[in-house]
Amino acid sequence: MATVTAPLPGIQAHEEKTKLRISDYFKWTVDHKIIGVQYMVTSLFFFIVGGALVMMVRWELLTPTLDLVQNGTQFNQLFTMHGTIMIFLWIIPMFAGFGNYLVPLMLGAKDMAFPWLNAFAFWLIPPAGVLMILGYFAGQAQAGWTSYPPLSTLFSDGDGQTMWAIAIHILGLSSILGGLNFIVTVRNMRPEGMSYFQMPLLIWAILATSIIVVMATPFLAGGLTLLILDRVAGTAFFNPAEGGDVLLWQNVFWFYSHPAVYIMVIPGFGILSEVLSTHSRKSVFGYRAIALSSLVIALVGFTVWAHHMFTSLMPSLRIPFMLTSMIIAVPTGIKIFSWIGTIWGGKIRLTSAMLFALGFLSMFVIGGISGVMLAAVPFDLHVHDTYFVVSHFHFVLYGGSVLAIYAGLYHWYPKITGYMMDERLGKIHFWITYVAFFFTFFPMHLLGMLGMPRRVAVYAPEFQTLNTIVSVSAFVLGISTFIVLFNLVYSLYKKRVAGPNPWRALTLEWATDSPPPAHNFHGDPVFFSNPYGYGTEAAYRYLEEQEKELGPSYPKTMEPSTQAMAHAAPAPAGD
Amino acid sequence: MTREELLALKNKRTLVTVFQISWIMVFVCLVVVCLHIRGNLATALPELTPVQFAIPLLATLAIIASGFTAGRAMGAIRKDDRAAFLSMWQLTIVLGGAFLAVMIAIFFYNPYLETGLYGQIFRVMIGYHAVHAVAIGWWLIQVFMNARHGAYSAENYWGVEAGARLWYFVIVAWVLFYIVLYLI
Repeated sequence: MATVTAPLPGIQAHEEKTKLRISDYFKWTVDHKIIGVQYMVTSLFFFIVGGALVMMVRWELLTPTLDLVQNGTQFNQLFTMHGTIMIFLWIIPMFAGFGNYLVPLMLGAKDMAFPWLNAFAFWLIPPAGVLMILGYFAGQAQAGWTSYPPLSTLFSDGDGQTMWAIAIHILGLSSILGGLNFIVTVRNMRPEGMSYFQMPLLIWAILATSIIVVMATPFLAGGLTLLILDRVAGTAFFNPAEGGDVLLWQNVFWFYSHPAVYIMVIPGFGILSEVLSTHSRKSVFGYRAIALSSLVIALVGFTVWAHHMFTSLMPSLRIPFMLTSMIIAVPTGIKIFSWIGTIWGGKIRLTSAMLFALGFLSMFVIGGISGVMLAAVPFDLHVHDTYFVVSHFHFVLYGGSVLAIYAGLYHWYPKITGYMMDERLGKIHFWITYVAFFFTFFPMHLLGMLGMPRRVAVYAPEFQTLNTIVSVSAFVLGISTFIVLFNLVYSLYKKRVAGPNPWRALTLEWATDSPPPAHNFHGDPVFFSNPYGYGTEAAYRYLEEQEKELGPSYPKTMEPSTQAMAHAAPAPAGD
Repeated sequence: MTREELLALKNKRTLVTVFQISWIMVFVCLVVVCLHIRGNLATALPELTPVQFAIPLLATLAIIASGFTAGRAMGAIRKDDRAAFLSMWQLTIVLGGAFLAVMIAIFFYNPYLETGLYGQIFRVMIGYHAVHAVAIGWWLIQVFMNARHGAYSAENYWGVEAGARLWYFVIVAWVLFYIVLYLI
């Protein structure tokens, strides 16, 4: 098999280098691996910023009265920036980072289809992030990440809200360019002989996500243009006093933003498929079902947007949107059952990556079930805009997306850096995160059912006990994040060499050095026909051949006899 | 062409196609907004005079014709007939320029200026489309300048093809807008 890629003069300079320096990651480059790391590190930075903001939110909510902030507007600004940063500057770019780093490697290619465009898409993010944060200091970016008019138009006088909207515009452009690049890369740069149904499931997930990105994000661009015109050019598209319609924005916004929920979670599904299969040494159960269900989710995701407006929607439209919203649980359920089928009877190794993947599986199911509850109109009318909704989407986006990101970091860190992450720290990180996460977000279900509205700084005194539990757990959750941040840096200095394929995985990114050379592979990589065909004689022979070419999958110093590595280095069983 | 060059060309073609499918959604968004606003109008819109109807119709015919000339130009360069290519490409630019001139006039002088919200979305749509026509029209002009110096041949005409494909996008987007703004 031969790789089919164009020559890339832009990264030729790196060819001579044996080792990249830290400063290389702060420069313009067209190497997809460096861009992938740039995405990841940038989004981790914004994760800290967004996390710090929500710590202030939870500090404020420790008591029923105003403490930290002086008024509701300041509180609005805090959660507005928290939500926006976490969505547009943490989860979405972090998954783009995984995609950038892994898609060409998994396809045996030298780079993305358009390396320059790839770099350009990334470099739009830092200025947009800075603009958004400056908007916070300019004030009045306070309308939530949903930016509903008239709060975002008539009642946000400062420049902050305009800067917020422009920043989202730029981030949307970045997403679209990235999505275009992924689609072209997956369509045209698969190695000879690799059919769509031989691609790793992460690639399927990135493909489905990119389809949503390129179809939905331009719709938001149109809406944002009108919102900005309302703010700066005197138009009145969303001003009821002059004939405008605030619900128009809600329709336009959610036509993008509900599919965007899947932009934020489908790549996590892809990561989960890789991690669960590899760390249980078992072939993926229902490969085609998992692959195609991502596309079904992408398609049906465009038909559910109005469930965010059950309280304001024409009553006759409620039932159709209730049905479509419930139908989308079917492809999601197919995935969940397929993952359970994947690990069932496998040789499960509870590495940090696997623990986080299992954490995803358990917590995301709770978020999914509360999602089906919210899809039911009678229930939604009761808990609309309460903490039940806050709980639901954090179970999906933290319990799902963030735990998947952690699983992916522990799984691919050895490939990216060449070093193993500290497993003991990884497990401490997992258990603190898992428990603190649950006690942060699960009590919110109760608060919502009891009637506590979201987005308020002052609440009824009877809610204080539950809010205190939530806030204290949130502080622990916040602190737990520093364990992984420390581990990421500490493991670099500890230098426990990973070897090319420490997990003995079958996908192509492991069929090269760790970290990979500038052009990814020394020769023409040979892909294994079933990327998850663990437990077969053919897979065992494939890995044997790989070891002959690249050396031991992991160095002898990492054999289980070394206590520190006992958990990290799997015995070559099951393949 | 080498295998790598062929792949690079295939990538570019796929990119433009996917971009067209993607970016048309902005125009669809504006169409949805326009129809929503029109559906909620308190008073009827002013009737168009025959002249007010005929001018945008002629502009629409001009831009559709420019699509045919762009296609003919591309066919000519594929056969290495540079003279035919230049004349057809030039005609494309002239037709596009005529369309754009009419659009600029309509932006400033149209019967909906006093209709409040509908007038606003009308101008946003005309203006938004014109911005795309200017940007891609500028590409057409650049191609023309390069072509005069013999930059393109039957083996190397990606710049022409990209310009033509993007111009087709401008045409399709306008036809979509025209149907909504003038026919239904």
